[in-house]
This record gives sequence, structure tokens and C-alpha cells, in this order.
Amino acid sequence: MAKVYVTGLGFITSIGNDITSVAENLREMRHGIVAYEPFAASEIPVKVAAPVRDFDTDSLDPEDWTYPNRYRVRREYLRSMGPHGLYSFCSMIQAIEDAGLAPEDVSDEETGLFGASAGSPNLLTYYVRRMHDLGVMRCSPLGIVASIAGTVQFNLVAHFKIKGASTGFASACASSSHALGYAYDEIALGRQKRMFVVGAEDGNVETILPFAGMRALSPSDDPDTASRPFDRGRDGFVGTGGATTLVLESEEEVARRGVVPYCELAGWGQASDGHNVAISHPDGHGLANALSRAIQSSSIEPSAVDYINAHATSTPIGDVSEGKAIRTVFSPSGSKPAISSTKALTGHGLSLAGAMETGFCALALRQGFIPGSAHVTDLDPAVVDLNILLETEERRPQIVINNSSGFGGANVALVMRAVPSVG
Amino acid sequence: MPKADTKAQKESKSAGSAPKPLSVEEESTLRESLKRCSPATIEAAIAYRKTEEASHLPAVIIGVIERFVEPDLRAKLKEADDELRLVEDLGIDSLTMMEIVILVEDVLQMQINNEDLRNLRTVGDIKVFIDCKVRGLPPPQPTKFLPIEQIVSVMPIQAPFLFLNEASITGSGAQGKYKITGQEFFLQGHFKDNPVMPASLMLEALGQLAVLYLLEGAPPEEGKVVDQTKIFFTSCEGVRCHRICRPGDLLSLSIKPKRTKMPLATFEGSIRVGQDKAAMAEEITLTFAYSDAKTSDAEVAALDAVEGDTRPPTITAATA
Repeated sequence: MAKVYVTGLGFITSIGNDITSVAENLREMRHGIVAYEPFAASEIPVKVAAPVRDFDTDSLDPEDWTYPNRYRVRREYLRSMGPHGLYSFCSMIQAIEDAGLAPEDVSDEETGLFGASAGSPNLLTYYVRRMHDLGVMRCSPLGIVASIAGTVQFNLVAHFKIKGASTGFASACASSSHALGYAYDEIALGRQKRMFVVGAEDGNVETILPFAGMRALSPSDDPDTASRPFDRGRDGFVGTGGATTLVLESEEEVARRGVVPYCELAGWGQASDGHNVAISHPDGHGLANALSRAIQSSSIEPSAVDYINAHATSTPIGDVSEGKAIRTVFSPSGSKPAISSTKALTGHGLSLAGAMETGFCALALRQGFIPGSAHVTDLDPAVVDLNILLETEERRPQIVINNSSGFGGANVALVMRAVPSVG
Repeated sequence: MPKADTKAQKESKSAGSAPKPLSVEEESTLRESLKRCSPATIEAAIAYRKTEEASHLPAVIIGVIERFVEPDLRAKLKEADDELRLVEDLGIDSLTMMEIVILVEDVLQMQINNEDLRNLRTVGDIKVFIDCKVRGLPPPQPTKFLPIEQIVSVMPIQAPFLFLNEASITGSGAQGKYKITGQEFFLQGHFKDNPVMPASLMLEALGQLAVLYLLEGAPPEEGKVVDQTKIFFTSCEGVRCHRICRPGDLLSLSIKPKRTKMPLATFEGSIRVGQDKAAMAEEITLTFAYSDAKTSDAEVAALDAVEGDTRPPTITAATA
């Protein structure tokens, strides 16, 4: 099996719209959560969110949107995008630059793209309402491609002239981790030499607030503490949006281009809870299996794992069941990998989460730090035996795992390994 | 403004149908719909909605098209060239065309169905189409595109003396293309070691396009068919050549009928290579004669087969 490396990153996130600021904010544990204006109305029981900055995508007409000057998006492209389509496009541009890819590397028959997106519910409801109100023939001709699940890869594959494998993944909060796993397979099996993986979410009223109905969102009005995975007082997640693009390349391609990767993507595993449509298995059964498979697929020992970027979203049930899964896999060997949830800083990005957090792990592996789990003032006794890192540690991990869990009890674990050549 | 309104309303009343007055809300909706168009477009649209005078339409239509064309191509629209092709020259794909249609429908309060749309290839086609639509006239004869196979099947002239690769015919004339390949037999001697398309054959090519127009365009008289064995060259006036044409050049031929009365049909013609004028003829006159019209049904059937449309019927019942 060919080895697979992460060679480029692009971020549009609540904690930064470029690699430098994202890395800095992770290290310094500065969060991106604010009192979110669209939640201000008194009847809305949720007050905070972690929106992306420097973009205004509130309008239903993409031509009204504003975005940073460094990006130029043709109207012809913009018209088929939802807000997270634009975020994806910008993160893709960053990742291509960061990886140092020439246009012929991007548009190549052995270069593919996997997307993860649940679509744009705001645009979708707008178009459907318009169809009912104004008539079938007054629907925007591009309303469908701009709003349904899959919109990320439809747009990016067309606009960046991708010629290899392309598809999308929809396993809710595990979507972009699934995309990464299957992109790893494409390269490891020799089908593609390079894959772009893009996770994205609008991160607006329509993607976040429906979670209030299932009581999954934190009702806290304090941006500084609302998202506090593993804290005893945690009371739900904080929503976010944005996009992250990762460039995965084969060992051969890394050598040919002479680039220094962030890290190796060493393997992955997945398993399902077979338990509940929206609640994690109380013992973290599926996640434990996903972790074991990921470890096996990477040919490492559990004791070699230095850091786990937890899925922990700051919900009462989820964080504890993840703790149990980690205990199941690591306790027999007596190892205690450092654990943190960067969702304390970013909020939970749903389809974006897996790609964003794998990107964070890649930064940690290259720059030599382990981000702390912010906002924990009273560590939940249920996880007190685990090595939850409360402050950032300035040391280079060698093996890192990123966990993701989605609706339906889907669990994915991705294993990354440091590359020796980085100074 | 109030004065102009009164005058315009009087004028259109005299034409028979009083336009509905445009309410303040309607005007502001109209302005909102057109907010990305030029101020001139907005004013023309308001003027049209107030007066229903067709003279405002070209400005509205060009303005709406301009709004959807990428900025670097917009300069072309300023040339006021009705021959500008939507796809090839302005980069308008079929989805952008739908955006244009939806906005035009919205602004001019009309319904345009898909069948009519696919016949619109140039800016001029759109202007004429919308003009007919608001005047309540039947839509103009659509552009008929003839690939080489079809040209060969109808023309009395054949290889190696046929100088058309493709052609399109509208109510107002015909356009054709001919690429000089370098393999033409006459280039061996015209000239020695220096192949140049003979000017006389460039005229011949224009004449052939005129023949095609007589055969495939609207018949000069209702219910009659031009006999393809009875078309011959008669005369030519005002011919000027501006450019030497060589192998590799793509000739864009254009003819327009000036007058047609059995047995004579007179056309003006021009040839361009890219943006360069290559040759002009003020008048090319052909003689022709009619034969029985019984073949026409078969031709129509053949054309339908070529254009065979598998799309579902257009929904026209939706009301705004």
C-alpha cells in the first residue's frame, strides 16, 4: 500500500482564515465564539455561535456577498454556491497555494476531490418557497446545485477542473472524516496520486438552530465558557461553520515534487454503534472499534499514540461515552495519550468538523505542540482518570488520532504520524 | 417626468390598449430586480412598463444581457452588433440564458417558453423575439442551422466546388462558414508556390450562400418552392476585396436579401476573417424559378428529425 501524506491545508474557520492565525489561536487557546446577533431575539434560547469572520453571506443572493479581497470569485461560479460553497472555494485556493500545486497538478486524471457537506438549508428552503410562491419556472436554474448536499464537490470539481475521483460524504458530524478515510484509500490503493478533501458548513441560523430542538446546543450566553468539553458543567455544543481543505498525496508524488509534508496519514478505521439514531452508545462501543481498527490499519501499538483530538462536542452524554471508548482501547496497555477537544475553541462544525480537526492535528505535528482542551474549570469526574490536557503543551507528538462521530452512531478515527524531516 | 408620462400614455391609448399604471410598489420591485443593471436599463424598463412602447425594449434587453455577461466581455455589447452570438461571443451558457430569461420575464411581465428559447442564437434574435412578443406578433422564423450534411443534401452545387462548411438561415439573411484547407484543387495553380483563395471564388461562395438562402429560407412567395435546378448567376455590382485569404483562414460569409421578385433575387454580401473585412459585394443577383410545392412537407419532416427534441413539454400555465 502506498503511503499517504498531508501536503497542504486551507482554513476558513471561526478561529482564523489562514494557517498562521489558526495555528496561533490553537496554541494560545483563543476561541472564536461570540454572542451571535441572529440569535438575539428573546424567544431563541441559544445565544452564542462561532461564525466565520470577514465574510458576509447573509443575503440569499450570492452577488450581495462580501469576502476578503484576496479572493476573486467569478459571478458564474458564485451563482451555484451556498455560503459554505464560497468558504470551500477560498479554503481550496489556500490549500493549493500551501501545497505548491501547479494548475496541471490540480487538473489531472489522478487527482480527485471528496467533499463533505449537508447542503445549505437556508438556500434550499428559499428556493422551494420561491417555487411554491412564484411558479415552477421561476426557480433559479442553479438553486439545486447551490443548496443540496453535494454542493461542495459539484462546485469545486467544476471550477478547479478536477478530473479524478469525486464524490461526497454525508454522515453528519463524521462526514469529512469519512471523506478523509476514503481519500486515504484512493491513494493507498494506487487509484489516485492526490486527493483534495473538503469539509464545510454554512454555520448560520438554519444549520445551527435546528439542533436546539434536540436540546443539543448550549443555552449559555457566555462566549468564553459556553463550549467546554469534558467540564462537569457542559451543557451542549456551540455551532460553527466554515471550510477546511486538506491535500493528500502519495509518497511518490511527495518525492517527485520535492515537498515537505505536514505529516503522514497513516491509516483509519470506522465502526458503527448500532444503537440510536442521534445518541452515542453509552459505552462508546462503535468508537472503540473504530479506534482499534485505525490503530491496526496503521500498524502501530496503542502505546505509541501521543495525542487524541477528541470528537467531544461539549454534550453531557457524548463526551463521557468517548472517554469510555478511549479507556477501552488504551487502558489494557496502560498508556495515557493526551486528549483535548478543540471544539472548545471553534465550536462544533458538523460536516466540517473532521476535516478541520485533522487539519489542526497536521499543524500540531508540523509545528510541535499539543493544543489544550480549553474552558475546563471543573473536570468531569467521569473522565478524570484520562489525560485531558488543560493547557497547550510545547512538544511534538509523533502519533496523533482524530476522532469523529456522527448521527446514526457512525464513528471514524484517523491516525497521523509525524514526518522525521521537519525541523 | 409627469409630462412625459401623460404624453406616452396618450400615445399608447391611441394605439388601442391602455397600459396599467405602474404603482410605487411595482416600480420599487422593478428597481430591485434590476439593481445590478445600468441606470439606463432601469429607466428603460420603467418607461416600458409605464408606456408599453416597444422602442424601450432594446435598451432593457441589452442591459439585462450585459448584467449577466462577465465584465471582460461586456465591451462587446457596446458595439451594438446584433450578430453577436450569445454562446460563442458572449460566453453565455444555457444556464445563464435561463437567468436572463427569468429576469426578462420578471421585468417585462411575460412568459417565454423553452421551445422559443432554443432558437435564439444572437443578440439580434433576442431583440426581434421580444419585440414580436410584446407586439403580439408570432415569433419570427427561427434561425435554421444547417450542418454540412444538410447543405450537401439540398444544394445543386457539390464538392469539389462547394464553398460552405456550415450555414444558418434567419428571416433576414444567411451566415456561412468556409475554412480554406489548402487542399483545394485550384490552389495548386493560384498562385504558383503561393496559395491564395481566388477573389472570384470568394464571390462564388457568397453566391452559393444566396442559393442556399433561396432554397432553405422563407420562400419568396407563399406556397411556392424554388426549383434548385433553375438558380443561376446573373450579375454582380460593387465588389471590393480588402484582404488576401490563404489556407487556414476561416471565412465568415454573410448575405442579406435586398429585393426578390421572380425571376430575380438580389443580395448584398460580405466576407470577414475574424474581425477583418475580406470582401464586400453591394449586389449579387441570381435568377430563379418556382416549382410545385409538394416537396416541402418532406423537408420539414427531415428538419424535425434532425432537431428531434426529447425534452418534456414546457410549462406555460404558471402565473407570475
